[in-house]
Amino acid sequence: MNIAFATFPFLSTILLACAVGLLLILFIPEDRKGLIKWISLATSGLTLLVALYLFLAYDRVQGGLQFVEKATWVKSLGISYFNGVDGFNLPLLLLTGIIFFTGVLTMWEMEERVKEFFAFFILLVTGVYGFFMSMDLFFLFVWYDVSLFPMYPLIAVWGSTRREYGAMKLFLYLLAGSALILPAIIYLAVHSGANTFNLILLMRPGTFTPFQQEFAFLLLYLGFGILAGVWPFHSWSPEGHGAAPTSVSMIHAGVLMKLGAFGILRVAISLCPEGWQFWSQPMAILATIGIIYGVLVGLRQTDLKYVVAYSSVSHMGIVGLGLSTLTVEGLNGAVFQMFAHGIMTALLFSSLGYLYDRTHTRMIPELGGISRQAPILSTFFVVGSLAGMGVPGFANFWAEIMVFISTLKVYPVLGVLAVSALVLGALFFLRVIQKTFYGPENEKFASLSDLSLGLGLPRLILAVTMLLFGLFPGLMLDVIQTASIPLIGRLH
Amino acid sequence: MNWEACTPELFFLLAAALLFLAAMLKGPRPRRLHRFVLLIAALGVLVTVAAVRREGLLFAGVYRVDLFSQVFKALFACGFFLTVCACSDLNTIRETRHAEFYFLLVTSTLGMMILVSSVHLLVLYLALELTSYPLYVLVPLRKGEGVHVEAGIKYFLVGISCSALMLFGLALLFGAVGTTSLLEMGRLGPLLIATPIGFIGLMFTLSGFFFKLALFPFHVWAPGVYQGAANQVTTYIATTTKVAAIAILVRMVALIGGPDIHLGLVLQGMALASMTLGNLAAIIQKDMKRLLAYSAVAQGGYVLVGILSGNLSGYAGAIFYAAAYLVTSFTCFLVVVKVASDGSNLQIAQLAGLHRRSPLLATALMLGVFSLGGIPPTIGFTGKFFLFTAAMKSGHFFLVLTAMANVAVSLYYYALIVKAAYVLEPDENLPPIFLSVPAKLLTTTLILLILMGGLFPQYLYEAARAAARVLL
Repeated sequence: MNIAFATFPFLSTILLACAVGLLLILFIPEDRKGLIKWISLATSGLTLLVALYLFLAYDRVQGGLQFVEKATWVKSLGISYFNGVDGFNLPLLLLTGIIFFTGVLTMWEMEERVKEFFAFFILLVTGVYGFFMSMDLFFLFVWYDVSLFPMYPLIAVWGSTRREYGAMKLFLYLLAGSALILPAIIYLAVHSGANTFNLILLMRPGTFTPFQQEFAFLLLYLGFGILAGVWPFHSWSPEGHGAAPTSVSMIHAGVLMKLGAFGILRVAISLCPEGWQFWSQPMAILATIGIIYGVLVGLRQTDLKYVVAYSSVSHMGIVGLGLSTLTVEGLNGAVFQMFAHGIMTALLFSSLGYLYDRTHTRMIPELGGISRQAPILSTFFVVGSLAGMGVPGFANFWAEIMVFISTLKVYPVLGVLAVSALVLGALFFLRVIQKTFYGPENEKFASLSDLSLGLGLPRLILAVTMLLFGLFPGLMLDVIQTASIPLIGRLH
Repeated sequence: MNWEACTPELFFLLAAALLFLAAMLKGPRPRRLHRFVLLIAALGVLVTVAAVRREGLLFAGVYRVDLFSQVFKALFACGFFLTVCACSDLNTIRETRHAEFYFLLVTSTLGMMILVSSVHLLVLYLALELTSYPLYVLVPLRKGEGVHVEAGIKYFLVGISCSALMLFGLALLFGAVGTTSLLEMGRLGPLLIATPIGFIGLMFTLSGFFFKLALFPFHVWAPGVYQGAANQVTTYIATTTKVAAIAILVRMVALIGGPDIHLGLVLQGMALASMTLGNLAAIIQKDMKRLLAYSAVAQGGYVLVGILSGNLSGYAGAIFYAAAYLVTSFTCFLVVVKVASDGSNLQIAQLAGLHRRSPLLATALMLGVFSLGGIPPTIGFTGKFFLFTAAMKSGHFFLVLTAMANVAVSLYYYALIVKAAYVLEPDENLPPIFLSVPAKLLTTTLILLILMGGLFPQYLYEAARAAARVLL
């Protein structure tokens, strides 16, 4: 096995930066709100820079696992602290950095219990970073749960409509998912006969029998699928999103749901390729139902956050569909879609959050003609929606087209259904844009002020990122390919 | 005769004698007495830790000092020390009774120390009684309305019933093999439990410890006693006695060479029932101590999952979990003691606004319940992980799956506690909770222990493995 050791532990630096930021915040008095925000911003900025550096410095020709860090943790059980970067997690680390940074910026105006909010927020992001970079099953699970439980206080304390219900529902759904994941992980580690939780070692072909792979894959798919919003386990997501405060919605739809999809890819698919093949058709069917269902239900919603939340269900269905095709293009598309959807949905939620903060309503019928008072805000929302519709020029276009092409090859019927749902999806976004941002003006919001420069910045970063990868998709695909080609190669 | 091997026991015997004297005399002022006992308890921790490496078979082979027993003695001393730490405002016990209160605590701790070293049927029984009788007195010692008397009677009656069962079991075991030495019995191990008399004898014998761990169907006393006893007494019952029960269960099951198929089935059934019943019943509780009692029933089930796997990792996991449970459970009870500073029972609704009244206690409570619920990176998660990995190694897949489903259920009521502390606001504006500097230090240390045990379990786990290896 060829492992390159990094000269400098960049990945641990990310975690350390978060930990230091968290500790600093814990020891600052509650009333120094400005200082707390600046520390959070510095933490997020630092991690974003490191993630960006990793993205640029990753050797695309060599591929494989790079920037590896390894230390024995619990020797007798074969647990090690093992981090690395490959084509799958690199886009997601970058995504986390971007959303973390912009998320802190969007919450710049918050005043209520600032210290606790940012402490929980940073804790959550630490878990997300750790999950994406970890190559050890034990740590993978630890980070997974670390990223989930802060969601509960974040939504229940700082959320809006039906926040306690939404928070509890989300918390229980996601932890029920982890109740399936942990037995599966232990099952795989114990039955490998190698006494290790090291993913690379467990990935060796012939480690597990076909039955073990099919069995474990099912558990892992269901467990992670809950977080990925796979239909019919998605119902926590609209409630949770609806109740969550803006930056939490952003991180949640933008990054956290990817944790589920990435878990399927990293653990279920990588360790149980035969289980993947065995279950690929049901996966494709569930994903297609999710795409169609998300669009249809979203069409009937009047609460803007629910609209975006259901569009997330639909878009995460595209990720699931890509994963189920067993092709390189499908995988590329799925991972690209995780990134693109993360950015897009963060942009939508952040624009909505601003609208809600100023108007105190998210109901489509109550709004209208917002574009006249707040043209910049409207532009950002429209840009996000266009990306969501899959208009060429945005990153989402490439991701979706790759998934659909590979689906049409592998599952023609499902492909046709999914593509037609996408056409409806365009209607879905157009309806919202038309009713909320155009159309007759509502007198109530005549004094609505537009985005200030500071609050416009995070939205701008998100929009530019989407355009950048829309115009130069190769930047991202080069990276993803280094991981997807070997993975598909293992199937044959 | 190697007396050095039992310095911990001698130390606690001396401490008990001193406190007995103090109780006979007029008794010093409560504050001075508390400091004195705190000093004794701290010294006790040092003495037991210093004696961890001692070994020997004493008193003609009835008393065994090995790494396993010494590790647990250190845990008991820690449990005693922590409980005494929580006793700074002992206002539900009459002042004149304080010396007796500490005397009984010390005696019970001494009983546990003897218990974990005894490898002889009679010594085992006597040590268990020495552990239990002080508790029978401590439970009804609380001032005030009649709940404590009911709790005391309940604890006493259920306790002596189990003790009678145990005595019967011991008699059966003796009848089956003709020896009172557990070590000799262990040599027969698998052969012994294959016979009906051996099996029934063992089950009855174990029931005394099932009672202490409040496993189904021996759990009925737990909620009433937890609620009825003074907060500090409940703290002791919920932490240290649990550790003792885990110790003996591990010792006994390891002694017979791991559970055979029948014993395995019984233990599995008990584990399943304890987990499920404990968690479901905890959901509807309004009283914090009752909730923790049912949660303890479930926790006992998790430990049993590790013990019944019958391998080194399982025993090591159980030892690790005992330590984890001591820290975690104590943290929760410390919050109860501090929030209900007048010594009354704490309703969950009374936690409202805790994040403002005392951010430190709120953090400790959140980490404590999440550690009980098994959310990483806490020591409770790591402990569960070790237990479940061991059970998986023995092929108990569905047991692990059910245990994890139970964990998911339990998170509901743990989240309700967090919600009360962090989200809900009290009707009237309650003042901040005052914590003295030592109390702050203690709380911070507990928080760090919970996190460090979760993030860096290596040393504690290897120590637990070393202790478990003695048993095989």
